[in-house]
Amino acid sequence: MIFNVQRYSTHDGEGIRTLIFYKGCPLNCHWCSNPESQSFDYSLMYDRKLCKNFGDCLKVNGTAITQTEHNGIQIQRESLSNIENFREVCISKAMTLSGEKKSVDELLIEIEKDRPFYRENGGVTLSGGEPLSQGDELVALLKRLKMKKIGVNMETSLHVKWNRVARCIGYVDAFLVDLKHLDSRKFRTYTNGDVKLVMDNLVRLTNSEANVVIRIPVIPDFNHTEKEISNMIDFILTLKKVKEVHLLPYHTFGVEKYKMLDMDYKMSNRKQVEDRELAPYIQYAKSKGIEIKIGG
Amino acid sequence: MIIEKNRTDVTERIKNLREKVLSTKPSVCTERARFYTQVYSENEDQPVIIKRALSLEKTLQEMTIFIDEGELIIGNQSSQHRAAPIFPEYAVDWLPEEMDDLDKRPGDAFYITESHKKELIEIAQWWKGKVLWDRGRALMSQELRDLQDSAIIKATGNLTSGDAHIAVDFYKILSVGLNGYLDEIDRYHRKVKRYNQEGVKKDQFYTALSISIKAYQNFIQRYSKLARSLAEEEQNPQRAQEFLLMAENCTVIAQKPPRDFYQALQLVYFVQLVLQIESNGHSVSLGRLDQYLFPFYQQDIITGKISEEFASEILENTWIKLLSVNKIRPWSHTRFSAGGPLYQNVTIGGQTTDGKDAVNALSFLILHSVGKMKLTQPNLSVRFHKNINPEFMLECTRVIEKGFGMPSFNNDEIVIPGLLELGVEKEDAYSYSAIGCIEIAVPGKWGYRCTGMSFLNLMRVFLASLHNGLDKQSGKVFNKGIGSFSDFNSYEDLFKAWQHQIKYYTQKTVEIDTAVDTALEEQVPDILCSAFVENCIPRGKTIKEGGSKYDFISGLQVGIANLGNSLAAIKKLVFEDHRISKEQLLEALETDFDGEDGEKIRQLLLNFAPKYGNDDDYVDLLLKEAYMEYINEIDNYHTTRHNRGPIGCKYYAGTSSISANVPSGAVVPATPDGRKAFTPVAEGSSPSSGTDLLGPTAVFKSVSKLPTGKIMGGVLLNQKLSPKTIEKDADKLKLVSIIHTFFEELKGWHVQYNIVSRETLLAAKKDPEKYRDLVVRIAGYSAFFTTLSPDTQDDIIARTEHSLNF
Repeated sequence: MIFNVQRYSTHDGEGIRTLIFYKGCPLNCHWCSNPESQSFDYSLMYDRKLCKNFGDCLKVNGTAITQTEHNGIQIQRESLSNIENFREVCISKAMTLSGEKKSVDELLIEIEKDRPFYRENGGVTLSGGEPLSQGDELVALLKRLKMKKIGVNMETSLHVKWNRVARCIGYVDAFLVDLKHLDSRKFRTYTNGDVKLVMDNLVRLTNSEANVVIRIPVIPDFNHTEKEISNMIDFILTLKKVKEVHLLPYHTFGVEKYKMLDMDYKMSNRKQVEDRELAPYIQYAKSKGIEIKIGG
Repeated sequence: MIIEKNRTDVTERIKNLREKVLSTKPSVCTERARFYTQVYSENEDQPVIIKRALSLEKTLQEMTIFIDEGELIIGNQSSQHRAAPIFPEYAVDWLPEEMDDLDKRPGDAFYITESHKKELIEIAQWWKGKVLWDRGRALMSQELRDLQDSAIIKATGNLTSGDAHIAVDFYKILSVGLNGYLDEIDRYHRKVKRYNQEGVKKDQFYTALSISIKAYQNFIQRYSKLARSLAEEEQNPQRAQEFLLMAENCTVIAQKPPRDFYQALQLVYFVQLVLQIESNGHSVSLGRLDQYLFPFYQQDIITGKISEEFASEILENTWIKLLSVNKIRPWSHTRFSAGGPLYQNVTIGGQTTDGKDAVNALSFLILHSVGKMKLTQPNLSVRFHKNINPEFMLECTRVIEKGFGMPSFNNDEIVIPGLLELGVEKEDAYSYSAIGCIEIAVPGKWGYRCTGMSFLNLMRVFLASLHNGLDKQSGKVFNKGIGSFSDFNSYEDLFKAWQHQIKYYTQKTVEIDTAVDTALEEQVPDILCSAFVENCIPRGKTIKEGGSKYDFISGLQVGIANLGNSLAAIKKLVFEDHRISKEQLLEALETDFDGEDGEKIRQLLLNFAPKYGNDDDYVDLLLKEAYMEYINEIDNYHTTRHNRGPIGCKYYAGTSSISANVPSGAVVPATPDGRKAFTPVAEGSSPSSGTDLLGPTAVFKSVSKLPTGKIMGGVLLNQKLSPKTIEKDADKLKLVSIIHTFFEELKGWHVQYNIVSRETLLAAKKDPEKYRDLVVRIAGYSAFFTTLSPDTQDDIIARTEHSLNF
């Protein structure tokens, strides 16, 4: 299941790229800017600003959806069932269903649309959620893209069993791997994941023929200190064949989406990280001979 | 290629000159009007062409001239900077009517003194009933006047302000000098046989030409004398030297070809100036400045006569001078060209006639000098082609980043083949330049109005197709239909009704143009302008009489995206998905989507039908099919010059409609694309505001599905990018990369970038004083944001911003 196909993406791999966002992720990072990407199922999103109180959603499920006193509706999410029934119900698009099942052929049609713009170094970037959590259709798509000679990058947390990674090597031109932290407790607290799985996979991946770019999200209170970032850089130095490192400064563009999903945003009241705050990290990495830049 | 500091450094002199012009409030100058009225009233027996030559002569002889502090490029259009001369022979009724409100216009205010008002009222009195406007209207049938008054077809600007949209033959001017023209005129004049009507007319034409060229030479000599006398009074020896040099330059170029870059540039500016004293039309353009000035520049650099710094300084001074030229238009016309610029275009880049990259050192210098000035003039266009210097393209994005909407790009890869197909000779096709904002012509060989004849309001035509030909806005049936929407059983029925209406209205635009062109030919022939356009002198004809080598024109079709979106919405929601009934749609349009039911319909139309600009064939191809009806129909007609000399004399389509989308929308009721009544329609060929949701590549794809090779009047695409989008060089290269694809592979026609943040625009709207030099691109040209009307400001703010991904 995917939740978005985004054309003219310029910060997720080289050149002009079409991003395929897969739905579902084994982690739930507190800073996640795409909260709708976490669930493997459809997600119902409600944007109060667009709501015109037409009431069509109430007709679909009057128990789960109730009208509130001050214009707008309330969703009792635990009472929702068959939420795909809400697709295209809301005329003003205040309520939208995130998630679409698309066949490989359907995805290829979308991907082909921007093919003239890919030129020498652009192409497709598979993202998510976690693309590696997807089933066999992921590999089917990769094979077709290879046949069509369309370049593929993949953004991944590597938080999956190794065989899920291994099946893709050879079809992916570059893996853009998130390295969030080295400390297992902190990693667990902020992502609900197992850092050892990520690090083991990363070592194996960099020992394979794959091209690897490491991306470090710089997150306040999580890893935004010289010590924590330099530890990661030191770890990267022990890896083979890392092409470059990207620092991705924390931003708050996704906050509104938590509201739309009635999800709790655990990192409220933090300011976005400015590029200039990253200067010491860049300096450190460069002193170690690592190619590093801000953004993708 | 360019010295780094010349990218950014501006001399104190230029800073002061720039500030002065920017802070000068536009005003009105009555001198020209006074002289023209005098000469016309004293020479009523003379043919119009002689009256005009004598009027120009008197004006150039007697108008106030001045050289301002620090100026290196000299020449003024009127008695003060930014004072607009009045052209009473075009239209005067509006003057007394609008006089007291000129300084209160929501955009483009002009200041006028009480004594000038008094003088203009007297002048207007004399001209009553004698002007171009009256003649043009008299030449129209009642039906055509009604059509104009209904605002379905607008041609007001052409009658109140003339046409222009032309670039003259600067190559020839620079190579033969003004004496060269006198010799040529004399040669042909002597051969004239006066025993037939044609001979009599030619005789008058050559007499008028000769008077005008001599008057022009005298005008330049007046500056020479003025500079010399200023030199004598000047205490500062360096400035005195500058005066002497300018005096010497003027003496030379008043008669002979220029000898160096400085003289050549000064002469080019004088040409530009005097054409805008002679005639009232806008979009008088400079053509390929980096090409015809390059030999002078190169020679002076090699011999050390000029430094790159000084060359840049006099270019910058020229741009400031171009901004000092001003034009006042009736409010009815002003709304169609918001921001008040004169669209004096400079084109750089492109290819040489043998297909090689024409980018040279002067192209870079012009690009950077325009970038440093950040003014609305000149309108800078870059001719793109697939082998264009990549370093130059990157530099273009650096100038784009400055956020004043320049340069815009025209595409050789579609324009040149398009011109060849029209029958333009290869060498000429490779020499085209942009004219005005985005439209194109071959400088010095093309007649007026490569675009911008009558404006056709497509959505009014479309609505008439729903109502059996009834135009509800005016209550008139101009062309009885083939049925009403409630009787249509399929999309095909709707399309047939569209075919029936568009065919009629297309023909009517030509009828109106024909009346306008006939009036222009008879009432306001341009003499100097004709002298500088190929074949007018040998043929002994003005441009309007068929003097030019080529003659192709276009009207402008406004509301392109709305047309496609409306067709798609009806096809999908009414005839396929049956989500809206015919009655519901008609009711919603009638009530402007009133009430909850109306709003529901509107939301369905907005959100559940494909929209142009999203690379969706469904709507893109419907639009193409509907627009082809216009394109095929207009191909049947000829201009008034047909069989009178020029190659072509045909029409093509055009969408370079400037800010006409706002006033055009203001006369259109609600439309089936979900657009509310009287709000702006989409500009040019750009998607409707806020409907392109998939980013710039999808927009490019949609636009390129239009028959771009047949829309030679311009396929205008305005893209807005936030400043962050191209902050880094890597981002700029990505921008260059998509432009390459758009032009090379998709055969796009034009694109320009408005790099500005929404916040800045909102702040500027609130506090204009602080954002006085904030320039925005509205469809094809630049204007100062703070001088735009609130409606236009809102429209710009509402346009979708393509931001990069998070």
